[in-house]
Amino acid sequence: MAVALVIAAVAAAASSSNRSTAAAKTSKAKSYSVLRVTWDQPDYFDPGLAYTVAGWQIMWNVYEGLLGYKHAGGAAGATLVPNLATALPKITNGGKVYHFTVRKGIKYSDGTPVKASDFEYAIERDFKIDSPGVGFFSAIKGVSGPKGFATTKKGHISGIKTNDATGAITITLTHPEADFANILATLFAAFVPPTTPLSDQSVKGIPSAGPYMITQYKPNRSFVVERNPNFDPKQQPNTPRGNPDKVIGTINPDPTGAMETVLKGQSDYDMISLPNDRLPQISKQYAAQLKIYTPADMYYIFLNQRIAPFDNIKARQAVEYGLNRNAMVQFFGGLARPTQNILPPNYPQYKKINKYHYSLSKAKQLVQQSGTAGQKVVVYGVNTDPSKSVVEYVASQLTKMGYQASVKLLAHGVYFTTIGNQATKAQAGYADWYQDYPNPIDWFDVLYNGDRITQTHNNNYGNSDFDPVNKLIEKLKNSPTTTAAQNAQWAKVDSDLVVKYAATVPYINRSGTDFFSKKMNLSGSCYQFHVLYQWDFSTSCQK
Amino acid sequence: MAIDTGTELGQDSFADVAEQSRGDIAGRSPWALAWRRLRRNRVALAFLALFVLICVCCALAPVYAHDVAHTGPNDNHVGESITVDGKKVPIISVGGIKFVNGKTIFKAGGVPIGPQLWHAGGRFVLGADNNGRDIAVRLLYGGVNSLKIGIGSALICVFVAIVLSLLAAYYGGIVDFVITRIFDLTWAFPVLLLAIALGTALSINGFHHFGITVPASSLWIPTLVISYVYVPYVGRPLRGQLLSLREKEFVEASVSQGAGPLRVMFAELLPNVASTALVFFTLIIANNILTEAALSFLGAGVQPPNPSWGTLISDGQDRIATAPWLAIVPGIAIVLTVLALNVFGDGLRDALDPRAKVRIEH
Repeated sequence: MAVALVIAAVAAAASSSNRSTAAAKTSKAKSYSVLRVTWDQPDYFDPGLAYTVAGWQIMWNVYEGLLGYKHAGGAAGATLVPNLATALPKITNGGKVYHFTVRKGIKYSDGTPVKASDFEYAIERDFKIDSPGVGFFSAIKGVSGPKGFATTKKGHISGIKTNDATGAITITLTHPEADFANILATLFAAFVPPTTPLSDQSVKGIPSAGPYMITQYKPNRSFVVERNPNFDPKQQPNTPRGNPDKVIGTINPDPTGAMETVLKGQSDYDMISLPNDRLPQISKQYAAQLKIYTPADMYYIFLNQRIAPFDNIKARQAVEYGLNRNAMVQFFGGLARPTQNILPPNYPQYKKINKYHYSLSKAKQLVQQSGTAGQKVVVYGVNTDPSKSVVEYVASQLTKMGYQASVKLLAHGVYFTTIGNQATKAQAGYADWYQDYPNPIDWFDVLYNGDRITQTHNNNYGNSDFDPVNKLIEKLKNSPTTTAAQNAQWAKVDSDLVVKYAATVPYINRSGTDFFSKKMNLSGSCYQFHVLYQWDFSTSCQK
Repeated sequence: MAIDTGTELGQDSFADVAEQSRGDIAGRSPWALAWRRLRRNRVALAFLALFVLICVCCALAPVYAHDVAHTGPNDNHVGESITVDGKKVPIISVGGIKFVNGKTIFKAGGVPIGPQLWHAGGRFVLGADNNGRDIAVRLLYGGVNSLKIGIGSALICVFVAIVLSLLAAYYGGIVDFVITRIFDLTWAFPVLLLAIALGTALSINGFHHFGITVPASSLWIPTLVISYVYVPYVGRPLRGQLLSLREKEFVEASVSQGAGPLRVMFAELLPNVASTALVFFTLIIANNILTEAALSFLGAGVQPPNPSWGTLISDGQDRIATAPWLAIVPGIAIVLTVLALNVFGDGLRDALDPRAKVRIEH
């Protein structure tokens, strides 16, 4: 029996080794020298600070944390895998304690060995550099409260214990959090060497533990990503080695200009969605070079429930009926699908809501019934399309419904801070949400939990605060497991917010375009769209 | 033969001189002379006619919107269709995404209808914008707003500049010092940057001070901003002219006869700079229309959904490659209006005071 087990183990190891060798061979066979890309302006190339797709899409192949996501397209991409950890966490004490062990022998791109204490340093650095991701770590013991690390930024976080000799990491939470493993997979939790300065390192670069490293970054102009010479796929089996040896990025946020770089052969990939007016031509003439993707997103109109007229449910219902969601798809060049759900359709918790059918007459009737007709409503939005067109449409429809609606358009850089400040008293406006990680908590808890409303930097723009919904969100977010029954309860939260309370007006799930040059091979696994990080350049191939 | 009429004849023709030598000049006021000179400037009059034509077209915007286009300037037609040559056509092309058997089927949409000229019974003559709004209607209403702002701000600007320069020139001393420093302070900023800064600040929350409330979307915001930034450009040359007039004998005579400050300023000094002010007024309307267009283009002028020629160009720039008329047509409207006002302004200047070198310089 023992012999049989040994033989089986050896066979399995051999088989695994064969697979690994085959994968390596395949990967090497697909390797190519240079990938030229046209990119949107990232906010940062520092894992502690970046909070945009433009930053993350590059950096998930550069920086690694304990956990990460499988490099795969479709639903498989949402699978958590251990990256620098040897295995998925062992969770004890009712979901409050997470145990990890860091893989041995891994080095950063500058040759510095990766240590367990680097994790602690990375999290503490996030707080010290005012990372936008620090809120994710508030449940770690010793972080919150007047004497917590978030306030004092001195000493260490008591809830994180590391041992460099054994590679052990123990994280203790104050309460269970269902999405904590997802949080650890964000780039905010990526390992950085302990010598990393406590300031933005986008331009200087931080040594990386992933397959690539950022060797050059000129903000608003360009960046270069090259192979990490110390990366060994055998030591980090969940991270592919990557096909391109080098990625040269040109930053051009203008959709038309970015598209032209591909058409002129200056670039192999345009990450920015094609401009609406060029879509008909490009989708016909260059169909083979165009990929349509649908990330997990939701575009919605927020209605502020703390101030008139949308403190009245009938007024909110009027907006639900008074916006033609099918027609609003056209503001996005047809690259969208109408929705009434908060959750995107690719979530297992999604249950389609089909309550509101466009009816201006019904909307007018509801406005009359609410007693709010004739009131002034200012609709906020970003001063560029599609927001501008959407907001002008919403204001026009509100005027038709019986309100005195006007528009207030702000620059993108200040928009979300402005509407997230209670002093602004924004009555209604444009908003969108892209998942930080694939978990319903990232939607309902962040956007609609009334217990999380803040005076400034508020994400709950409509100030939705419904006690039964808040309680259900709190209950579900403390559960460390996901069951079918819980999925149904998340669907109920979705339905209650949209149907029962008309708290928000989701109208579309937006899609995007990936536009490639003729050089690129888009067949099979050569084109992988990741649920969180979008197109995976590391798996790209050239013809 | 030397003819001394008390004024230099400048560019008058020999015919004028001959006519004046016959003694006909005796009963003619400077205004009558100016009108006679202007009448002979056919180019200036042609451009005046063009400007009047543009104003009339814009004034007829409500009639066009109601009786021809059957839509208002801000009415969206998202999801609607029109009949073009007997066929139903969506005002904004319909596209979308479908998932069939695991495949993504995409049809591009969202492209507004192009210029229909008269194929749609007068609707969407110049096409539609992203919200399905009639561009021709918005162009005319945009013209109304641009002209309102241009003329309104020119009136305010010239009025304030006259008052301040009269006060500065008449009283001199500390009054002149304070007013001149105010002029200098405003002059020190590049005019467009100052206008953008003020326009942006005021277009966010409007003006709510000293018991005065002006909403952010009001046309008063760009009107007042533009008039303010141009005050020194009119005020300083006027002040210079008034300072020299202040020392003339007719002013001394008036004072010696017991005229008070108001009488001296408005009855003696003002009429002598009226022609300059009138030329400035004409020329500055053109400048103001350009500034308004620039501000609105940058989002610091007329606020959406209200149209102006500047906002229409801004709206059209995203589709410049496929629908260039969206930006070009309002651009042409601005060019024609500004050209008309400048040529007419030059003609008026030549007619009123051929010696003057009145220019808006910044």
